[in-house]
Amino acid sequence: MSALLELEEVRAGYGPTSVLHGVSLEVNDGEIVSLLGANGAGKTTTLRAITGGVRWTGDIRLNGKSLRKMHTEDVVRYGVAHVPEGRGILTELTVEENLKLGSHLRRDGPDVRKDYDRVFEYFPVLRDRRRLSASTLSGGEQQMLALARAFLMKPRLMLLDEPSLGLAPLVVRAIFEIIKTINESDHVAVLLVEQNARLALDLSSKAYVLEVGRLAIEGSSAELRGNDAVRRSYLGY
Amino acid sequence: MQEFLQLVVSGIATGGIFASLALALVLIYNAMGLVNFAQGEMAMVATFIAFTLISHGLNYWIAFPVTLVIAFAGGIAIQRIVIRPVERAPLLTLVIITLGLTTLLNGLAGAIFGYVPRSFPSPFSVQTVNILGAYASYRDLGVIAVSGVVLLAIYLLLQRTTVGLTLRAAAHHPEASRLLGVRVSWMLALGWGLASAVGAVSGIMVAPIILLEPNMMQTIIIYAFAAAVLGGIESPLGAVIGGLIVGVTVNLAGTYVPFVGGDLQLAVALAIIIGVLVLKPNGLLGRPSVRRV
Amino acid sequence: MVQRFRTLPPRYWLVLVVVLFFIGLPTVIDSFQAGEWAQALVLGIAIMGLNILVGYSGQLSLGHGAFMALGAYTSAILAHRYKMDYLVTIPIAGLLTGTVGFVFGVPALRLSALYLALATFALAVVAPSLIKRPAELTGGVQGIVLLPPVPPRPASDTFAALTGTAMTSDQWVYYVTLAWGLLLFWLAWNLLRHRAGRAMRAIRDGEVAAAASGINLAGYKTLAFGISAFYAGIAGSLFGLAAGFVSPDSFPVALSIQLLVGAVVGGLASIPGPLIGGIFAYFLPIESNQWVPTQTWIPAAIASTIEKAGPAVTYGAVLILTMIFAPNGIVGLAAAAYTRLRGRLRGVPDRESGQIPQDPQTV
Repeated sequence: MSALLELEEVRAGYGPTSVLHGVSLEVNDGEIVSLLGANGAGKTTTLRAITGGVRWTGDIRLNGKSLRKMHTEDVVRYGVAHVPEGRGILTELTVEENLKLGSHLRRDGPDVRKDYDRVFEYFPVLRDRRRLSASTLSGGEQQMLALARAFLMKPRLMLLDEPSLGLAPLVVRAIFEIIKTINESDHVAVLLVEQNARLALDLSSKAYVLEVGRLAIEGSSAELRGNDAVRRSYLGY
Repeated sequence: MQEFLQLVVSGIATGGIFASLALALVLIYNAMGLVNFAQGEMAMVATFIAFTLISHGLNYWIAFPVTLVIAFAGGIAIQRIVIRPVERAPLLTLVIITLGLTTLLNGLAGAIFGYVPRSFPSPFSVQTVNILGAYASYRDLGVIAVSGVVLLAIYLLLQRTTVGLTLRAAAHHPEASRLLGVRVSWMLALGWGLASAVGAVSGIMVAPIILLEPNMMQTIIIYAFAAAVLGGIESPLGAVIGGLIVGVTVNLAGTYVPFVGGDLQLAVALAIIIGVLVLKPNGLLGRPSVRRV
Repeated sequence: MVQRFRTLPPRYWLVLVVVLFFIGLPTVIDSFQAGEWAQALVLGIAIMGLNILVGYSGQLSLGHGAFMALGAYTSAILAHRYKMDYLVTIPIAGLLTGTVGFVFGVPALRLSALYLALATFALAVVAPSLIKRPAELTGGVQGIVLLPPVPPRPASDTFAALTGTAMTSDQWVYYVTLAWGLLLFWLAWNLLRHRAGRAMRAIRDGEVAAAASGINLAGYKTLAFGISAFYAGIAGSLFGLAAGFVSPDSFPVALSIQLLVGAVVGGLASIPGPLIGGIFAYFLPIESNQWVPTQTWIPAAIASTIEKAGPAVTYGAVLILTMIFAPNGIVGLAAAAYTRLRGRLRGVPDRESGQIPQDPQTV
């Protein structure tokens, strides 16, 4: 059975600068996978490659179908929700409008309404601030908005780029709880890029560690957590 | 006194026209983030197309929607051919290109149709109606009414529909919108088509009053711009109020200020623009924003 | 000394050749043509000013025709009514126009590219009417006629000694224009090489970043407006000299567009660009009007449309095509070709230049 997402010897870069030098990884249906590594290792570039934001060679397949030459919006329509570095909140629009952009492609009316109910249940602040401009939200609230929006897209795979960045520990915990809930109840696979390795390993079942554009380590989260040497040299704790 | 009143009333009528164009500017430039210096010339060309259709015997009420469709298609075509190649270029490049478009369209219209002003039919009668002892024509009021309806429709489209939402998203946040599955390229093209159609309506409404000729939109755009700046570029209501004030002021200045006379009324508009920018840059109703207009 | 000569970059030799070419030009062309080249140089000076504003500080202006008008009328009025020596009026016109431009630059700060274009466009549209109004001063619709200047003794004698013919008025005007052109181009080169130039380019490339690095945005932008208007004022003054008269119709909106086209085609943000742009802007309409009818392969209907349309259609098309295909103008194309040629001659493989990708929308 082939994986949901497969990357095969992916090289990517910006102009003459190469950032990824042949990365291969797999995410299975319903799995949460961590992509770890230091700053500049190429984690964000990997996510960008998947949704066509950067040129790449090699192969990237979603459900067996190659994503080569697909435009970003088409990859997204095929079932990938990507919350980028910085969250990608449309600040000219209201909270509600941001959410609507998450669900605007869906045709299953009643299910959409149910999903909105769940979103407001997970993140009550979004309901309270519905009509306000998205720019009025705090960092944590924006992350919630981004996640809610991604959830509303009903994707098969979610790409999350550093969801914990700049957020208070309590908020981060709450958000990670919800990621876990979404993953379990809706069977949404997640590829999680994180600098906070400990949090990521607690959430994910599998992890890859990138180092300067190459895979240094891969294995189950339990393994990586258990290995002291790995933890200290690669994960920083 | 009578003259004063008449000037005010007709100033309000003209002002209404400025207001509708200023409103179009505000909606299109701000809501859709559209950068198009050639907005006026495209409207002028559309009006000439309508003129050609009508002079070949087509009924006004058929020529009108047909022209709108042509204008819509034309707007999309221009976006695809001329604007898309420079999508990621700095703002300056875009403005220069649309400026080239302005010159090109003006020259072509001049070459094909000549510069002699022509009359253009209006669905409204020139009869006047008495308001407070002064006269305004049905035609002027009709222009304001039609423009108002069109702009309301556009506003509702942009604010209340999904298409409008994706249009706005694509215009202001293209990269983030792509990550939400929005086909940004096509939305931008759609925006241009819509703006072009709105411009066509303005042109067709205004032509009977100022006479159809290649340069007809140039001065009007400046008045509309003055109205938008006065009202506060981000505010639709401001555009309307600004338009009325500009209309009345220009009319009064033309008669009562000897220096101005008939041909320097445009200079009054320029003075308004500069004055507002120096004294109260956000206009009457604009939000004080950190961003520039 | 010889050592330094040998190691001067080829660019300097090119400049020397060009300067010598222009100094010698009137000796090989007739007087009328010298007058035409003078007008092209005048445009070149105005375009240099526009380039400082658009190419270097990123502010668009469609009103430089109006600034030229101000310079031209200042000189004309001073010379005609107050009997000043025309040559003396030239710098006065420049300084006056520069000051006005600087003042205009203040409200201009509030406008983004599109709206600034509209505002300066309004200025250009209004200018002819504004000129006509104070008729006793400006001569109203008829304008002011200027007497053709007489070449002064030393210049005329030198010219006669070199070429054997007496220097005509047109040729004298040409040399005055050339002298100012050399001075102003040299000035611009110096200005842009140093701090002011770098500051302006930083502003053009990214205002937020420029401001963050401590550059006084407002100061440099208004300064750019002022300097740019100064150039236009001098150009306008020289224009009056070259044309022999000034009138409101000499400065229509089309002139401002013509200047922008010249700036873009020559090459924004370059020093030689405006010169090329000036030559292009002046000679293109003349040449194409003579060239088009002779081309029998163009169907008659299209040819007559192009002729009737005047330069507007050509200018519009040129602007669009240039910004899409050659945004750095002729200078840019030449520079690119030169780099590739040099690389090929030296056996260096073509390397694709690195591009900074646009970040996905971040908040």
